[in-house]
Amino acid sequence: MSDEEEILIEAKNLKKYFPIKSGMFSSAKAHVRAVDGVDFKIKRGEVFGVVGESGCGKTTLGRLILRLIPITEGTIHYLGSNIQNMRNAELRRKMQIVFQDPGGSMNPRMSVRSIIGEPLIVNGLADGAELTKKVGELLEIVGLKSNHMTRFPHEFSGGQKQRIALARALSLDPEFILLDEPTSALDVSVQAQVLNLLQAIQKERSLTFVFIAHDLAVVRHISDRVAVMYLGKIVEMADADEIYNNPKHAYTKALISAIPKPDPSSVVDREVLSGDVPSPVNPPPGCAFGHRVNHPKYPDSINVDLSLVEVAPNHWVQPCPCCTEI
Amino acid sequence: MSWEDGVEERGESLRRIRESAAQARYDFKRGWKIYRRSLLAVIGLLMVISISVVSIFADDLAVEHPGRNLQDTRDVWHIDYEPRKAAPFSDECDTRYQKVSLTTLRRWDANGTNALSPTRVADNNSFYEDILVVTEFIELQDRYGVTLGNDLVTLETSNKSYFWISEELMENNSLTQIKLIYKFENDAMHHWWLPDGYDVCIFGTNDEGQDLFSKILYGSRVSLTIGFTVATLTVIIGTIIGSISGYFGGRTDEVIMRITDIFFAVPGLILALAFVAALQAIDNFTLPLWFAFLLPLSGLCIYFRSTIFDSIMPGETSFPEANLPLRIIVVVSLVVLLALGGPWKDFFELADSSGWRIFASLIGLMIVGGIFILDRRLMDNISLDGVGSRTLNSLDWRNPYRYLTFRTLVIFIASIALFTWSGDGDNEVTVIDNFDRLWKIQIALVFTGWPGYARLIRGQVLYVKEMTFVEAARSVGAPSGRIMFRHILPNAWAPLLVAFTLDIGGTILSASGLSFIGLGAEPGAAEWGKLVSDGRAHFPQDYWLVLFPGLAIAYTTLGFNLLGDGLRDVVDPKNRR
Amino acid sequence: MNTSEFIVRRILLLIPVMIGVTVFTFAIAQIIPADPAAILCGERCGLVDPVTGKTMLELQRERLGLDEPVIEQFRLYLINLAEGDWGESTTYNRPTSDVVRDAAPVTLEMALFALLMAYPIGITLGILSAVWQDQVFDHISRFLAIAFVSLPIFWLAMMLQLVFGTGTDVGGICDPIFGTEGGCFPIYGRHDAALTYPDRSSSLCDTAITGIACYPSWYPSGGTGFHLVDSWFVTDEALDNINPEYASNYKLFDDTLVHLILPSFTLGIASAGSLLRYMRASLLEVMNEDYVRTARAKGLSESRVIIVHACRNALVPILTILGFSIGGAIGGAVLTESIFAFYGMGNVAVDAIINLDYSVLMGVTLITAIIFLMSNLIVDILYGVVDPRVRLE
Repeated sequence: MSDEEEILIEAKNLKKYFPIKSGMFSSAKAHVRAVDGVDFKIKRGEVFGVVGESGCGKTTLGRLILRLIPITEGTIHYLGSNIQNMRNAELRRKMQIVFQDPGGSMNPRMSVRSIIGEPLIVNGLADGAELTKKVGELLEIVGLKSNHMTRFPHEFSGGQKQRIALARALSLDPEFILLDEPTSALDVSVQAQVLNLLQAIQKERSLTFVFIAHDLAVVRHISDRVAVMYLGKIVEMADADEIYNNPKHAYTKALISAIPKPDPSSVVDREVLSGDVPSPVNPPPGCAFGHRVNHPKYPDSINVDLSLVEVAPNHWVQPCPCCTEI
Repeated sequence: MSWEDGVEERGESLRRIRESAAQARYDFKRGWKIYRRSLLAVIGLLMVISISVVSIFADDLAVEHPGRNLQDTRDVWHIDYEPRKAAPFSDECDTRYQKVSLTTLRRWDANGTNALSPTRVADNNSFYEDILVVTEFIELQDRYGVTLGNDLVTLETSNKSYFWISEELMENNSLTQIKLIYKFENDAMHHWWLPDGYDVCIFGTNDEGQDLFSKILYGSRVSLTIGFTVATLTVIIGTIIGSISGYFGGRTDEVIMRITDIFFAVPGLILALAFVAALQAIDNFTLPLWFAFLLPLSGLCIYFRSTIFDSIMPGETSFPEANLPLRIIVVVSLVVLLALGGPWKDFFELADSSGWRIFASLIGLMIVGGIFILDRRLMDNISLDGVGSRTLNSLDWRNPYRYLTFRTLVIFIASIALFTWSGDGDNEVTVIDNFDRLWKIQIALVFTGWPGYARLIRGQVLYVKEMTFVEAARSVGAPSGRIMFRHILPNAWAPLLVAFTLDIGGTILSASGLSFIGLGAEPGAAEWGKLVSDGRAHFPQDYWLVLFPGLAIAYTTLGFNLLGDGLRDVVDPKNRR
Repeated sequence: MNTSEFIVRRILLLIPVMIGVTVFTFAIAQIIPADPAAILCGERCGLVDPVTGKTMLELQRERLGLDEPVIEQFRLYLINLAEGDWGESTTYNRPTSDVVRDAAPVTLEMALFALLMAYPIGITLGILSAVWQDQVFDHISRFLAIAFVSLPIFWLAMMLQLVFGTGTDVGGICDPIFGTEGGCFPIYGRHDAALTYPDRSSSLCDTAITGIACYPSWYPSGGTGFHLVDSWFVTDEALDNINPEYASNYKLFDDTLVHLILPSFTLGIASAGSLLRYMRASLLEVMNEDYVRTARAKGLSESRVIIVHACRNALVPILTILGFSIGGAIGGAVLTESIFAFYGMGNVAVDAIINLDYSVLMGVTLITAIIFLMSNLIVDILYGVVDPRVRLE
């Protein structure tokens, strides 16, 4: 990470616990530790991938960055200012999000024009004919026709809907877009188109992306750097090629081995993970992954500080005695 | 500035209206496609349409107005009519008993009498223009029931509504009164769609000789009115309370839900009974003046809703808002000012002339408008440039989108009317002038009905609130109000439509039940429940007096329930596309 | 959460609701335009008491606590309620608690018997309707379900009286079926007019006067008020002193039952309609579950799949509406009672409104709320026992 590059987003010891309540008088009895102490920095203009299996907290992390849910502990700074203290309107203009489910993220009773134009209307940037013009332009940027704006979401295919969602995110001309599994609900053929569009737009407008996915192959394709999350924690973080070619953490290795190979003859010894993901309500102490695979050295990890360490330039990994080869 | 400045905006808003019309058309087409799959639903729709048509054209279909009695001649001098029940399709329908007082005839020294006084025509529906025409004498009795010869009376040949009593009868001093049984005909009572001679006979007549069929036809108006009024009011109240509960959650939600629990704890009909009892002494439904101000006040509150609720209940969705203190100060001072009512009350007492009141209303409107504009300026960073010219433009009749001008005018006039009207009387606003028992049961049913809707809409709001598009709207910075009114409610009202339809049926049932036990309609009213209860006195002998009004209730309720059931299929998300 | 904790929590949750209901009834009594003191002293209101120098009206008001501020009145009301003093009825000149105590079992017996009739009908039709989905039977029974809830209950009651009632029996439907003459079910009253049933209200059972114990010593004195049950416990001593035509436990029971059938059936019809719908929907949902498909795939007979695998699970949600149907039946009883001349809570409430007897009205509202809440509590607990998932919430 060179110093002259500008840090756009910096998260420090980020935590999000969801209380489990059971009744009107009782206070929270337990917490779901969705995000449990995460640190990272995102440079301006880079694509930062976050991978992990379902329930690992990557979507919650995205919501936290966008301030869509309050932070339990820790801070997020945007260009040096704490997002907690930023004005809502300012924040929304700079950071946008594209959701996983393209259909669900659009109000079925609104026309495409209203959907894409909503950010402009609520932020008082455009209305009336000006809005129509801007929406038309945005539609053409994402590869749709401007006369599509009178239609309703259900008249579009999944890929088209995701383009509309992208247009909505672009409408405020943000600096940063969070892509929350933008392609996982799409057919593989459409996935590639959308990914290429995303890449093109990112290059053209020099945007900063956080790309959340559970599919390492997709993340590698688009990301500059990748963070692997497991049970609310980042276990490994490095440049995309580095993490792919030289994974250190056992969980990362398992994920990489799960990527299908295009050559059917190549025999891969695929690591099949045993055990279930531990409950985030009462996560095991120490290395959660070691606990899951019932690693013989798991007990050693309980009393070790598991903060990320830099094992190679820009390659950070959890110094876990059971799962990490350093 | 000229109106051209606003042309594009107006074009847009016209476009938006077209767009929503297109959406509505699409929704309707899709809905109808699903709806017509079910035969029962279509039958239900036809039933509802038929009963609505009947209630609209009751004047033309009925043979007599419920407040009148075609056969009642009690107010005619020296003729006495004995009302009696006639079974459906019985011969007695077009015959009648009439007592003729011979003493009176003697005293008045005339022995001619008419069958029905033409002076009784006093109805704006002009039912009684024509008088009865006697077609045939069936029997003549003295007052002990001894049959006399039919030839003792003769019909006047030129005017068949007159008959003459023979000298022999008049001179027989032992007779004070005779009883005449004759067949009659009345052209005014005859309708093309009824078979001859059955004008008042299809459902029989009641003990006062009133045509039951006509009463039932008119009863449909009462029942449908009650059904629609109560269902509409309950939906409005329930939706407001339920959406507040669902959207803001937290403690508000808890309190509202506990209140609904209390309502649910007492069976509906008993609760309604208690309410009717509580309302018994109230003759007209008035609201204190300060309550009338609650209307614009609640408008303001809705406008400032995000601030108010976010500051009271900082929940998961709350973020620090700029200008928060300012808004709170404005809102709190307004609430205090309006709720105390002091200055306003004096102000309106001073302003006795209507000119003054209009002036005051205008000033009030301007203050409210000013706050709105100021608020928009502060909160949404919308430029104030052109606010004045835009307002003026919208008032300019030369502009090509006149409906906008029209809309502005309507809003203006309505607000002025509201303010002016609210200044009337002794610091009270009369909402319902004639607060009769029917109104009382309606109010009672609204009171008992809203918790159901509140729960329904709360559940819906909670469900829709979790959808991604709501989060998407929040992620672009949409305020709470916009999220509620543009995103959540339009997607949450569908089950409400079903409940609304079913509730019309339910209300008709409950209202007729309350009438039946004597709490609803006034005695003698053409209300179905009341008709059943009136007929009960003659039950089981004169079964028709109970059978037909009850069938009418069942028919209407069934129609609405089938309709609602069909709509449920349309609304069911499983049937989407 | 274990079962006992679950039950305790459920009971605790009832407390705020109960307080709310009392506030509510009190508020209604405040609005009702009647001065109970004026009704109680009647014509003597104007008389002046020589000792205190106050009029009778003032004394009555003092006695009833009406001169206190509203909050104080409410406090007194709550204390009195807790002590079992529900006020004095101005129409019956008896304590309200007695009036309610006599009326509640009448309504409750009718409502419970109605559900007893409604459940088998509703559930059977619901199951058949789901099994033969979209066939003719299904369409008919769905129509019936809607029709059942659309019928005005007071009208249905009278039509049933017309068809099955003693002395009316239109069309002679009843006689050939039940082998009776001139109709099979009496249409008025809880018992034949010739029978004075030995219960709390009959002078026969006033032990202090007659010296006859109508019920065994371990039984609630004067009976529970549920005559279907009480009939079997009436002592021989009492039986000897009633109309000999009815002098056996069975005959007392028979008389009660025969009088109860029409009103309960009327009341049950609406419940049966909604039950049918719920059962059908519930069963259809269950039939789409994987475990039912698995059962089919195992080659079990269709009837076994439906009865053993589907119905058992489909019946669980039906339990929840039991509580609500009790409330609905009690509400509907207001109408049937007036037609069948049962002196239960419905009739008492209507009388109370007509005579502005506010303490009885409060009592009836309160007791129906208690019954409703209790039945829901029981249903909740049963549900928690049957379906352990509920307890976790």
